[in-house]
Amino acid sequence: MLWPGNLGQFFIVLCTVASLGAAWYYFRAANKDLEQHRLLGRRLFYLQAFSVLAIFGILFWIIFKHRYEYYYAWRHSSNALPVYYMISCFWEGQEGSFLLWMFWNAVLGLILTRKAGQWEGPVMAVISFIQLGLSTMVLGLGQGTADWVIHVGSSPFDLLREQRPDFLQIPVMGTVGGPANYLQIFKDGNGLNQLLQNYWMVIHPPTLFLGFATAMVPFAYSIAGLWKNNDRGWVSPAITWSLVCVGILGAGIIMGGFWAYESLSFGGYWAWDPVENASLMPWLIMASASHMLLISKSTGRHLFTAHLLVQLSFWLVLYATFLTRSGILGEASVHSFTDLGLSGQLLILLLSIMLLSVLSALQKPRWQWSVIGGFVLLVIVFSLLTLFGGKTNQAQLTAVMKWTGVVVFIGVFGLFIYKLYSRTRTEQDDERWLSRELWMFIGAMFLILSLVQVFSATSIPVFNKLFGFSKAPAKPEEYNAFQLWLAMPVMLLMAIGQYFRWRDTDPKVLKKQLLQVLLISVVLTLLINLNFGINEPKYLLFLLVGMMLFIANVLYLRHQKKLQWLAWGGSVAHAGFGVLLVGVLVSSVNQKILTSSEGIRFASELNKDGKVDEKAVKFNRENVILYQNQPVQLGEFKATYQSVLQGKDNDSIDKYFKVFFTKFNKDGTLADSFTLLPKTQNNPKMGLLAEPSTRHFISRDIFTHVNYESSLEKKEPFSDFKETVAAPGETFLTESGKVKLRIDSVKRFNSEDGAAGVELRITAIRLQDSTVLFPKFVVNLSRNDFSSIPSLSSELGVLTDIINIEIPEPGQSADQVRFLIKTGERSPQKNYIVIKAIEFPWINLVWAGTIIMVVGFTMAVVYRVKQNAAA
Amino acid sequence: MKPLHIILLIMAAAGIGAVVSLYGNTTQYIAFKDAQDLAKENPGKEYHVVCTLNKQKPILYNPQKDPNYLEFWAVDSLGKEMKVIYGKPKPQDMERSQKMVLIGYQEAEYFRANSILSKCPSKYNEEPVNNR
Repeated sequence: MLWPGNLGQFFIVLCTVASLGAAWYYFRAANKDLEQHRLLGRRLFYLQAFSVLAIFGILFWIIFKHRYEYYYAWRHSSNALPVYYMISCFWEGQEGSFLLWMFWNAVLGLILTRKAGQWEGPVMAVISFIQLGLSTMVLGLGQGTADWVIHVGSSPFDLLREQRPDFLQIPVMGTVGGPANYLQIFKDGNGLNQLLQNYWMVIHPPTLFLGFATAMVPFAYSIAGLWKNNDRGWVSPAITWSLVCVGILGAGIIMGGFWAYESLSFGGYWAWDPVENASLMPWLIMASASHMLLISKSTGRHLFTAHLLVQLSFWLVLYATFLTRSGILGEASVHSFTDLGLSGQLLILLLSIMLLSVLSALQKPRWQWSVIGGFVLLVIVFSLLTLFGGKTNQAQLTAVMKWTGVVVFIGVFGLFIYKLYSRTRTEQDDERWLSRELWMFIGAMFLILSLVQVFSATSIPVFNKLFGFSKAPAKPEEYNAFQLWLAMPVMLLMAIGQYFRWRDTDPKVLKKQLLQVLLISVVLTLLINLNFGINEPKYLLFLLVGMMLFIANVLYLRHQKKLQWLAWGGSVAHAGFGVLLVGVLVSSVNQKILTSSEGIRFASELNKDGKVDEKAVKFNRENVILYQNQPVQLGEFKATYQSVLQGKDNDSIDKYFKVFFTKFNKDGTLADSFTLLPKTQNNPKMGLLAEPSTRHFISRDIFTHVNYESSLEKKEPFSDFKETVAAPGETFLTESGKVKLRIDSVKRFNSEDGAAGVELRITAIRLQDSTVLFPKFVVNLSRNDFSSIPSLSSELGVLTDIINIEIPEPGQSADQVRFLIKTGERSPQKNYIVIKAIEFPWINLVWAGTIIMVVGFTMAVVYRVKQNAAA
Repeated sequence: MKPLHIILLIMAAAGIGAVVSLYGNTTQYIAFKDAQDLAKENPGKEYHVVCTLNKQKPILYNPQKDPNYLEFWAVDSLGKEMKVIYGKPKPQDMERSQKMVLIGYQEAEYFRANSILSKCPSKYNEEPVNNR
């Protein structure tokens, strides 16, 4: 069925054209203040929003109805996928996630057409332009010859046969006549990545993309403020939207962390993976931007920094998009999107948005036109050079283009900073040392420092490509080493910042209040550390600062007006952040590997006497082997691997390992017991996927995952075969005599296809272990043949197979039946799992802190909205 | 000097310091031969080596003996072969991997990997599902 795709493709084009039209008419409305242009722009934006909804609906229908003629449905979905995961496969691919982003942009745009008032023209012009940029990413126009090809976007409505023409020639088609019938083969899809089949993956991406989309609004206001020469009018709405962004983006990031903790096996919620960092970067800057906006609103200072940070934050959103979707991260990340060959277009998108910033900072049309002209020229020249530059001087050409690009970029960026600064500077007295704005500013600077480190470490693959380095990606420890020391001043300032008044503070009052905070925090830190037991000074300091962050903000509520409880949002969000960071500290510093084991030591780890030299030990041996039904002490628990459960489906490759944990009191009574079910899936495409299983307590989590299990071992073949004639009830031995076998009973059966046979029940005993085997012998009279189905036990290392049946002569008793049984042996193999168990103390503080933070942000946003409405 | 200027100067210095130290510290992708040379001068430093698994030689992993001991042979981009010891269970996508990045320490006789990143072509690959 081709019409849904054609219709979808039509709406994509309509969306692009409508966005372009909306941008143009809103642009005119903003410049000339023409009411009819504003209305026209608005209608076109409605049309654009409708198109996005239509595209959304059609694509979902295609996935929902399993229309595998469409590449997107085939690639990301499958018949067995439950409906709620079909929502996740909607945004597994790049195209779907761009659509999700556009959807939120459309929603935000619709809100702004109602609420922005006098700002509608310029703000919506910027938003329509951004929407235009995003819709070109899903256009899917391609043009080219054998030598060169230009892609503009990648459409979710591409057909399977267009995307994978090779499938039409696949030999498995066999019976299929030709291309027309190729769909008969594709009755099932490729399926959703197993790791994404988690309920958090249904909700995490929409939240994250809503966060990304909201970053656009303060950006649009900042551009509009510069455009309309409106010094500070843009600040109030921008504060509200920046708070929305920080809250939602923050929640989205933590949700991603929670997903990683629940379904990935690296054992944690944050790994400084470039994809995580990509969403953290705009958050850090938007958090500091919202504070600079607050300063601008209250004192009129730091307008330059407010503009710069708001714009930088949205640039970083697009940079994040470029990083995760261009394929540049390569092996630096475990989870980035597949490369669609759109890196050039993504780069152009990022640069166009930055260009928008530059244009807003330049006031004179003459300047603006020369910059636009220069940019377009450069893009055209570079594109032509890339396409037709000839294969002879490729390296030289690339180098020239690269360096021209870098020099032009730095030049234009410098121009932007200079113009922005000269336009937004204000003549004011020096700030006082005891003013709130000064300390808020310092806090924001620390956040920027934090960004500088994350940015330069995450961008290593980009700089490698740009400057020809071969640096390896930074390791989590390198991030932690910096971020620990940057977080502490930020936390301290978040704690005490509110105690400073705007402009100046009475030192006596301040001293009294701060001493109170410090005293209470020190006492509480010492008390709580009786439980936490942190020894290392730097972590203890971190705990103290985190405690101060919490205490100071809780105590500050005393100074707030009680009736205006919505105004407490800032303090609540800060306090929540304190709880979160204390949770991060305790759950990571104090995490305990319950499965440490000694294992084999390397020669380099031993000292001269052959004993282990602790300093030379560089491996943590973090896994233990659990044999079936053999309890092992893990920390204070006794863990027993009891059984393996197969997944529900018939051909399921899922295995759940039932591990029973018990804990005993000193007097020997049972204190606690629970069962964990860590899962493995020996995925034919991705190898062994381990899904952890976690027991949540209030004060800690016990986290387990299986890294290996006995059935993965390569089996040695059976040998020492022996044939024995035995009667029911008779006992016999294998070749080595180690296994004793006894035929317990004989059962006749008829199988569906008309064959009949007998099944033996044989008890096998080896030392103390025993098991029951069921070899079968099947006779098919219609086909006139017979076959046997052997039965084996890995645990006992024995195989039994019925070779022949000696049927009693007429007149003899039926009991005289004899079986010729072949036995084989191999070394017995026990069932076991290799398991890692980690105890995360107080990890619930991380989630609790996040919830408090989101509540705080919600309060702050509602408060601001009410305030703005009143003003 | 205004308070602001002092702060900005300190911040700028700290920022530059952070970047310089980051880029000074960050390890490079190197070959086994270089790792051997560098490890003599600088024992105990971590390196990243890009290599492929030698599928002709056996992969030793016997969890019943030690669940945290894996031994295999790898060949780097220059064709040098090296024994690798890894202190964790065997990654299941290993045999399938086209390329591996080993992160760890170079010892005289072998490379001691702390982590293995396997690049598998099939990981995100799309193969037609053969339906009944």
